Amino acid sequence: MNRILRTMIVILCTAVLLPASTPVPAKKQERPIVLIGGTIHTVSGAVIPNGMLLFENGRITAVGTSVTVPANAERIDVTGKHVYPGLINAASNIGLNEIEAVRATIDITETGRINPNVRTDVAVNPESELIPTTRANGILVSHVLPGGPLIAGRTSAMLMDGWTNDEMTLRSPVGLYVSWPNMRVSRSPFARQSEEEQRKAIENSLKELRDAFNDARAYLKAKKADKEHRTDLRWEAMAPLFDRTIPMIVSANEVSQIQSAVQFANEQNVRLIIHGGRDSWKVASLLKENGVGVIVEPVHDLPNRRWEEYDLPFTVPARLHEAGVLFAVSGGGNSTMNDRNMAYQAATASAYGLPKEEALRSITINAAKLLGIDAQVGSLETGKDATLIVTNGDPLEIMTNVEKAYIQGRPVELRSRHTDLWKKYEEKYRQLGIVK
Amino acid sequence: MKILHLLLLFCCTFAAAQSSRQTEGIRTNTPAVHALKNLTIIPAPGKRIENGTIIIRDGVIRAVGANVAVPSDAREWDCTGLTAYAGMIDLASDYGQPKPKNPGSTPEPPRGPAYWNPNVLSDLSVAAQFMPDKEASEKLRAAGFTTVLSVPQQGIIKGQSVLVNLGAEDANSQILRSDLFQHITLASLGFGQGYPDSHMGAIALIRQSLIDAGWYADAQRIYAKNPAQERPEENRALAALGAAAAGKQLVVFETNDEQKAFRAGAIAKEFSLQWALRGSGYEYRRVDAVKALNVPVILPVNFPDAPSVASPEDALNVGYEELRHWDFASENPARLRKAGVTVALTAAMLKDAGKFRSMVGTAIDGGLSQNDALAAVTTVPAQLAGMEKQLGTLEPGKIANIVLMDGGLFSEKSSVRETWVEGVRYEVKSVPAADLRGSWKLSVTGPSSDTARLEIAGEADAPTVQMKKGEKSVKASSVSYFMGHLSFSVEGDSLGWKGMLRLSGTMTGGTMAGLIDLPGGVSGRWSATLTAAHKEKSDSSRHISIAASFPLVYPDGAFGRTELPKQQDLFVKNATIWTSASAGVLEGADMIVSKGKIVKVGKGLSAPSGALVIDAQGKHVTAGLIDAHSHTAISEGVNEAGQAVTAEVRIGDVVNADDINIYRQLAGGLTTINQLHGSANAMGGQNQVSKLRWGMLPEQMKFEGAIPGIKFALGENPKQSNWGERFTTRYPQTRMGVEQIIRDGFTAAREYEKAMAAARSTPTLVPPRRDLELETLVEILNKKRLIHSHCYRQDEILMLMKVSDDFGFQIGTLQHILEGYKVADEMAKRGIGASAFSDWWAYKYEVVDAIPYAGKLMHDAGVLVSYNSDSNEMARRMNLEAAKAVKYGGMSETDALNFVTINPAKQLRIDSRVGSLEAGKDADFVIWSGHPLSTYSICEQTWIEGRRFFDRAEDAAMRQDLQVKKAELIQKAATSKKKGAGPAAPSRRSFFYSCHEEEHDHAAEQEMMQ
Repeated sequence: MNRILRTMIVILCTAVLLPASTPVPAKKQERPIVLIGGTIHTVSGAVIPNGMLLFENGRITAVGTSVTVPANAERIDVTGKHVYPGLINAASNIGLNEIEAVRATIDITETGRINPNVRTDVAVNPESELIPTTRANGILVSHVLPGGPLIAGRTSAMLMDGWTNDEMTLRSPVGLYVSWPNMRVSRSPFARQSEEEQRKAIENSLKELRDAFNDARAYLKAKKADKEHRTDLRWEAMAPLFDRTIPMIVSANEVSQIQSAVQFANEQNVRLIIHGGRDSWKVASLLKENGVGVIVEPVHDLPNRRWEEYDLPFTVPARLHEAGVLFAVSGGGNSTMNDRNMAYQAATASAYGLPKEEALRSITINAAKLLGIDAQVGSLETGKDATLIVTNGDPLEIMTNVEKAYIQGRPVELRSRHTDLWKKYEEKYRQLGIVK
Repeated sequence: MKILHLLLLFCCTFAAAQSSRQTEGIRTNTPAVHALKNLTIIPAPGKRIENGTIIIRDGVIRAVGANVAVPSDAREWDCTGLTAYAGMIDLASDYGQPKPKNPGSTPEPPRGPAYWNPNVLSDLSVAAQFMPDKEASEKLRAAGFTTVLSVPQQGIIKGQSVLVNLGAEDANSQILRSDLFQHITLASLGFGQGYPDSHMGAIALIRQSLIDAGWYADAQRIYAKNPAQERPEENRALAALGAAAAGKQLVVFETNDEQKAFRAGAIAKEFSLQWALRGSGYEYRRVDAVKALNVPVILPVNFPDAPSVASPEDALNVGYEELRHWDFASENPARLRKAGVTVALTAAMLKDAGKFRSMVGTAIDGGLSQNDALAAVTTVPAQLAGMEKQLGTLEPGKIANIVLMDGGLFSEKSSVRETWVEGVRYEVKSVPAADLRGSWKLSVTGPSSDTARLEIAGEADAPTVQMKKGEKSVKASSVSYFMGHLSFSVEGDSLGWKGMLRLSGTMTGGTMAGLIDLPGGVSGRWSATLTAAHKEKSDSSRHISIAASFPLVYPDGAFGRTELPKQQDLFVKNATIWTSASAGVLEGADMIVSKGKIVKVGKGLSAPSGALVIDAQGKHVTAGLIDAHSHTAISEGVNEAGQAVTAEVRIGDVVNADDINIYRQLAGGLTTINQLHGSANAMGGQNQVSKLRWGMLPEQMKFEGAIPGIKFALGENPKQSNWGERFTTRYPQTRMGVEQIIRDGFTAAREYEKAMAAARSTPTLVPPRRDLELETLVEILNKKRLIHSHCYRQDEILMLMKVSDDFGFQIGTLQHILEGYKVADEMAKRGIGASAFSDWWAYKYEVVDAIPYAGKLMHDAGVLVSYNSDSNEMARRMNLEAAKAVKYGGMSETDALNFVTINPAKQLRIDSRVGSLEAGKDADFVIWSGHPLSTYSICEQTWIEGRRFFDRAEDAAMRQDLQVKKAELIQKAATSKKKGAGPAAPSRRSFFYSCHEEEHDHAAEQEMMQ
């Protein structure tokens, strides 16, 4: 039994006595660590049975069957276990959303329709109780999105451990999040607006969006010409979009929304990622031609239309894969509490046609590529962050458990409010003599 | 009393034309004797008299026939070219009523001794408010109607209708029968308007009102004889409902889909009502079941326009069901008639009654015979109204309600010329003095003589004119044909005249003649002779058959089947069988199924002869999964949120057999659901345990003999914590109040039971009113009904358990039970099941301590645990929810699977039939592609009682078939020239609900989303 495991057991036992304590972020990695004997799922390359993985100063320094281990390294035997890169949730509200029904605990949506300047990493609450429960299922990076009716704000890739939100920030901004206007004109007698009014509303929304982009360009041009030009925080925030450093991430599900977003992105010469993407498979060739990736969410969902195949949402990833579109499977089904079930959505996609390896890639390296964080995370390769998990099986199987997790080489606690309460009440029934 | 009342009415109708009104000014004595001559007469469906005469005297038809002597005092009317029909009768009109202030909303509470709920307006008499409406009657007469039943428009029990003629005179003269029917609507109401705010609540209100009406009559009778006791209230609504409740007055149930017809039938049967159905246009979907109701049906003809499929995006979003309904709709009347159903047709639900004849024509295109169509607007409604002696045909003795057409009644080309109402002539469209249409030779005389040709075409009363000379032709402008005088202008330049010519003239004896103004102020004369008469185009081409393209499926729409899956004897072999019983998991095992039951499960069995062999090598077989908390397949409202206690409402009243989620859940291996009321109130509605028998009728889905239950709810939902700032006044607003509401309810129930028993033994006592709410609570106290209570926090869980101790009732399950792990010992002690979420938490404050280890903790403490979905989506993968019990806390795999098989069966007390694979149990089972708890496995087949309700291979064929058919219907819609009555009403078939959301606020929006 190694030291870390011993430490963890001590912590778990202590939790029984100290139920109020919360998991503690670990120190920066000081000694090299080598995991020995596990099956290493590098994702980028072949699976290495009975392999070794060495990491130092938070970075992976060697992966293989036989690795030179520095003398001072901590050797951890993971025989029979599996090593995977930390899972990446490409769409989440974690840290901005504590208790859905309690308004005071939510920081997702700023007022107004044009908010490119707000940035999610600023408001991620490191003490959120949802973070440890999500981390315990192997998700070590979450892409935190704002919400809102049109230009919602800028997104951030957050590590699922740290003393402060600054420490947790892996990359920010990752993209500009835009909720695409509903493009569908309802002819239902229940519709609140006439067809005419609905069309007008769509037109207005698109105009509002286009105006914002054009105003931002005009502002940046003016600012370049005249450094004394008064500052507009909104348009400043859009600069990296125009030099294509960050993409526009568009929430869109319907064919007409996706088509419209692609057209707009081309017109504005900005990079585009679709989030949601229920109908994305229908326009897959359009996405492929334009190099647009998709963050699929949710897989565990009902078909939008009564007559659609029961498994249509399950098969969207497989369809995108077949069409050669880069995609990630993400989220927990529109609810932060379910983020921890993200990997099972990828698994369902696999049960309904996506090759197993692709299911894994969709929550690791492909998610990292879409978010522009693949130099650090998403696979187990030399030079990348040692952000990884050790499991007792396939992390896409519900019955599997994560046994260890490292974020940039730091061992992170897998304890949570949930395990604490579990242990507490086990103790209750022990005291009552109901369980041993 | 009632009979006397009816008799009086009857006498009144004869006297309708005679008036008590005092004369003002000069008396009117214009003779009322008419002879309509030279008519084609259709005296009744299937009969025809050529060149006939109708004699009318004092508003009554005295003679009809080909050789009828014209009385010497009669005014004679030459009706050459016209056809006489009996005036049409519409039994679902709103004619002559004051406009409701807020249509569609809850009525204002009436003054006077009314029913406590403003939706019960049984004493509303349309007759009392009736006033002939000049404009509306003119429109209706122009559409061919002479008589309508004006039906009350507000509330649920809406009141009593009046049958009126459509003459222009006063109400007294037009009313044929006052208070004819009682009208009850099952068409949905808005949400959030007080009690009831759900479909099931409306049904509960109807049921209670009918009971109250019976009680009221008894109470009044007993009190009158024995006045020395507490006096029963005065209640005009209940008095007025008495006749209907006693089966002495016909009740018309209004519906807006076919399943509501069955719900109406169930109420009618329960109370032995005499009734008729105001249909929806969707009856074709379940013709046999509608036929079995054995009642006349008043059908709308609001056949929808072709759905818009103009762009690929439109075509993608158009519903397959919408397309199919469009394709089938016009066949609805014909299909019901062919089944032998008595059908009347109504213009209700048409925006413009003027489209009615044309829509009936469409129904004829859809297969309805001309005779049936005519009967449906004349003799059938007359009979239904009990007026067959006075209305419906053109026969001596009948009221002279006649429509004169210039062609067939339902022909697109023809129009209504005159409508006679009780012997009074109303001209609808004046017959032109002469039909000028044809080719004419024109001569101009005067300063300059010339000749030309005129081509007159268009409508007889609105002609178009072309002037021709040689090869040249000019269309005339400003054509007017009024009172026999034709005038028009022609640009003369191309015809050899300079400038604009203006002509006018009249026809006499086959030649036209008149004045012509030539340019330059010169006038002359013109005359013309007919060279070729106009030929009427035959409109027989219109009545082409437009049969629906595909056979019906059950339920109609996506993934329905033309026939129900057959019950088959089976031999499932070589499977890994998870028995959910003491036998555990058997590898390489077989299962024998016969007549829907499992005969044997074990290794090395041999196939019975005749059994279908399923080789399940490499597959896993489990019992059909059971969801102890579902809101699937419930029509229009999962919550009756109008009151804090709604124990009287029943999910069983509103099972929606068409919910597509039934099929989707079958595709996830689910076979049985506990359909629960929502959690909006402390003592909610009654549950329904059902099997997912996709394609069957709602009644057939119900799990036979399952012990009834009821939904309770504790915590934030019943105290309206998350409903928004408006909801702060309904009792209770605290957990303390929730406890008191429950104690109060049960205390009242005990006292009610005693009072009822006492009344039974003392017939001179006014009996207590039978109260369905308290009766339900009495059933709980008497252990005939199980409680399934939504709850979260340990304090409220303990509270309910203590209340159950005090009152001595049984809690079946605690639902969601997020903090159940904190008081598992108390639950185990009382044998209460936990029907839990596997891992939900953090969505509201009362779930901050919810943990995914709860299932394991409660299980270990001796509680019977199941995992539920509370979600149409999650219900499709309950096996994976079970897997979470392995993950969180390390349950064994077999115990974990039991969380979604035998454990929920035991909780619902249906484990003698389902939940495990054992000899004698129902053959409800699932074939999985692999380990049932693996995320990579999929459900391949789902069987219920030996019927294969889901099969992945069949599903693949069905989706292909659907694509082909949908494409074909889109083509048909895109090329259709058939005009409908307007856009289709949206399908209201499936709804998403979950009681962890604030469903109350969302219900209407969710409805919109559908």
